[in-house]
Amino acid sequence: MRRLPRWWPTALFFAVLTSMPLWITDGYVLQLIFRVVIFAVLGMAWNFIGGYAGQLSLGHVAYFGIGAYAMTLSTERIGWNPWLGVILGAVLAAIAALVIGSITFRLRGPYFALSTIAAAEIIRVLVQNQDELTHGAVGTNAPLLFQAPNLDAKFFWGAVPLLGAAFALSTWIHSSRFGYRLRAIRENENTAMAVGVNPAREKLLALLPSAAFTALAGSMYASYFSFVGPDTVLTLEISVQAALIAMLGGAATIWGPILGSIVLTLTSEIFKTYFEHTHLVVYGALLIVVVIFLPGGVISLFMRRSQFRRQAGPIGSVQG
Amino acid sequence: MARILEFEKVSKRFGGLLATNDVSFHVDDGEVVFLIGPNGAGKTTVFNLITGFVKPDAGIIRFAGQDITGGEPYEATRLGIGRTFQVVQPLAALTMRENVMLGTFLQHPRRKDAADRADQVLEFMGMRSRADQLASGLPLAQRKLLEVARAIGTGAKLLLLDEVMAGLNPREAEEVVGLIRRLREFGITSVGGVEHIMRIVMSLASRVVVLDQGRKIAEGPPAEVVHDPKVVEAYLGSKFVAEAKR
Repeated sequence: MRRLPRWWPTALFFAVLTSMPLWITDGYVLQLIFRVVIFAVLGMAWNFIGGYAGQLSLGHVAYFGIGAYAMTLSTERIGWNPWLGVILGAVLAAIAALVIGSITFRLRGPYFALSTIAAAEIIRVLVQNQDELTHGAVGTNAPLLFQAPNLDAKFFWGAVPLLGAAFALSTWIHSSRFGYRLRAIRENENTAMAVGVNPAREKLLALLPSAAFTALAGSMYASYFSFVGPDTVLTLEISVQAALIAMLGGAATIWGPILGSIVLTLTSEIFKTYFEHTHLVVYGALLIVVVIFLPGGVISLFMRRSQFRRQAGPIGSVQG
Repeated sequence: MARILEFEKVSKRFGGLLATNDVSFHVDDGEVVFLIGPNGAGKTTVFNLITGFVKPDAGIIRFAGQDITGGEPYEATRLGIGRTFQVVQPLAALTMRENVMLGTFLQHPRRKDAADRADQVLEFMGMRSRADQLASGLPLAQRKLLEVARAIGTGAKLLLLDEVMAGLNPREAEEVVGLIRRLREFGITSVGGVEHIMRIVMSLASRVVVLDQGRKIAEGPPAEVVHDPKVVEAYLGSKFVAEAKR
């Protein structure tokens, strides 16, 4: 029997995913899968810097929010096409990443993580207080990127190429010199420097596409739910989710963030339905269990141990 | 012979400790020089100063005639200074080949070329058959050799080997000595740092530089240096020297 080519699981996955709106008629289910896709993009984007380079950013919501607000405000205030606003969001997020990165990357470990939270909080407070421009804490309606009818399907088909692009970049990073250098930085910055790597530069280079993809996910998310507000697109919860999705699925792997998004989005949905008020507790407990018993993420269940070790370091080796 | 490394009147202070006190020495192309000295003599600091991990307070460091004083570690590597660390730091989650590729990527940006070059380096080191093994499972001696392989992979012309013999049994140390000899044949100049004056090091080194408490106390061919009273004193204490004289 001839062996199937190595890319067949990827082709199959994207073919099935793309076809979903054709055979899933339940709007709720489609919306759920749309969220899985958007959060998979978020997890992948986080994985560039948090997984491969091991820099535990807890401020990615800053870029998410910048994407959402740039699209909304450029449409509302200067009458741009919302798609142009989406691109503006990605560019602005990359610029913000350059600024935030050059400051926060001076710090290591927990201090770095805390400084990223602080950076995101600064942006949230700024947005909240610039009522004139941003509608402050109340928030405002986000423009629709697609027109009715079949909005759910159109948004879904808008999100899939975004996942495809993030997937392609992940695949490249995974086996390129750049990706190896990021792993070297994650494991040991001194060793990385001893092989000629400038850690500050490589970390910034990883953060730029990470921020841009996070912004793209943010604008699409905001448009789908037709709303931007500090409490929805600038909350710490989204930063935490980005990191959890990647680590839950398997940090520094290509498929990890997709698995992580499926597991996290679906379980949190189930818990919300059955445990209403206590769902966050159950959800937190689940995370602790996974982190203790599956430190390599859900993906480690699907790979032989040696194969997994070759691909990724366990969460424990991610230096905060 | 061309000077590959010049270390001129370099000083470095850490708080109240003069870790490097007005130390000067040089290394010629193709030489094997060993820095020796008791624990805490300042050997690692000298290596850190050359590679930019530590910036000097005074003095000049030149590599192949170029002033590299105060440069960044990755710049030193790019110029051709390779190093190993006293505490070995292989990237545990990567295979041996991938570890060496981190080095070879410097001159071979494409993955395939970097992998081929890494295999050549591993072949040279006699470790080719273990290329696919994870670095985490290696015994100490192999991890040390892997560090050397990674440094060679960067295309280094000068190799700084910090305590490369420490923790190895005599047979393994012999292996490293053989390796350093072969490196010289390949045009790689080595500077080793060791704590103990070992017979095998003595046979290998063209010169040794002896450090004690941050100062250079002696320099010269190994056979002469071991009989220098200052060196004996640094290692064994002044009482021993006095007794030996009687």
